[in-house]
Amino acid sequence: MQNLIQSNSVSTGIWLVLAGLTLLTFSIGEAGMAGRQVMLGLLFIALVKGQMVANYFMGLRQAGFWWRALVLFYFLIVGGLIALAYLMGLD
Amino acid sequence: MNSQSAVMVYEPQAAHAVSREEGLPGDFAIWIFIFAEMLAFGVLFVAYAFTRAGDVELFNASQQTLSQTAGAINTLVLITSSYFVVRGVAAIKRGLSEQCSWWLSGAVLLGGVFVAIKLVEFHGKFAAGISLSTNAFYMFYLALTFFHFMHVLMGMIILGCVIAKAQRGGYSARDHVGVETGASFWHMVDLLWIILFPLVYVIR
Repeated sequence: MQNLIQSNSVSTGIWLVLAGLTLLTFSIGEAGMAGRQVMLGLLFIALVKGQMVANYFMGLRQAGFWWRALVLFYFLIVGGLIALAYLMGLD
Repeated sequence: MNSQSAVMVYEPQAAHAVSREEGLPGDFAIWIFIFAEMLAFGVLFVAYAFTRAGDVELFNASQQTLSQTAGAINTLVLITSSYFVVRGVAAIKRGLSEQCSWWLSGAVLLGGVFVAIKLVEFHGKFAAGISLSTNAFYMFYLALTFFHFMHVLMGMIILGCVIAKAQRGGYSARDHVGVETGASFWHMVDLLWIILFPLVYVIR
């Protein structure tokens, strides 16, 4: 029972952090901020949010290491290629 | 205990081990589907980014016609619905079927809010004469968000089936693989939107 209350508190905390990071992304967009650092910052926020959803909401932190690594690898590859394409667009 | 009865005792455990590969929640088959879907969306995300690199001005100008507020609200809606699903899974792990179905119903309701906001967005674009052939940005915007929209609808149907079974007492603290399977699909829908929102609505 104690574990369950603790687990519900963790998921509530994760939800609040995810909402906070969403508002941060929205604020950056509304301020019209752009450029290399902003783009990398926004992709980093998406990476952090993705890891939180995968590990805590989907429950991958209880799965084998390679399953967590696969999701992290996905975010790094997709995010990395998106960053590369945006850097090409800035040149 | 002879060898035959030993097999009978251990058979259910063996089946359990197959469906819950390496501690993955839910049925293993859904994870194959989840990774396949993530791969398909990943290719589209990267294709969007590289196509944008060829015409940055067009993409930035077209992106400014989108409502970042609608996109952000939809992100909050999906994140909150995912949180409700987590609470639903936690409830069924305690054997609380009714509480589980209430949390999942809340998630489906929020899915409906997402769908309604998206329909308003789509209507606005179509009313302005925008279609898949307007330009490359709108082609990606409409294709990506509509593809994701269909996944939200599918997720709502899956959760609806899980809720119906939970209300009939079909899950328990010991047997709730179906709830975890539906939950995993719903979280994937959330996960994909977490990339889609900054990519299409915000980054310029």
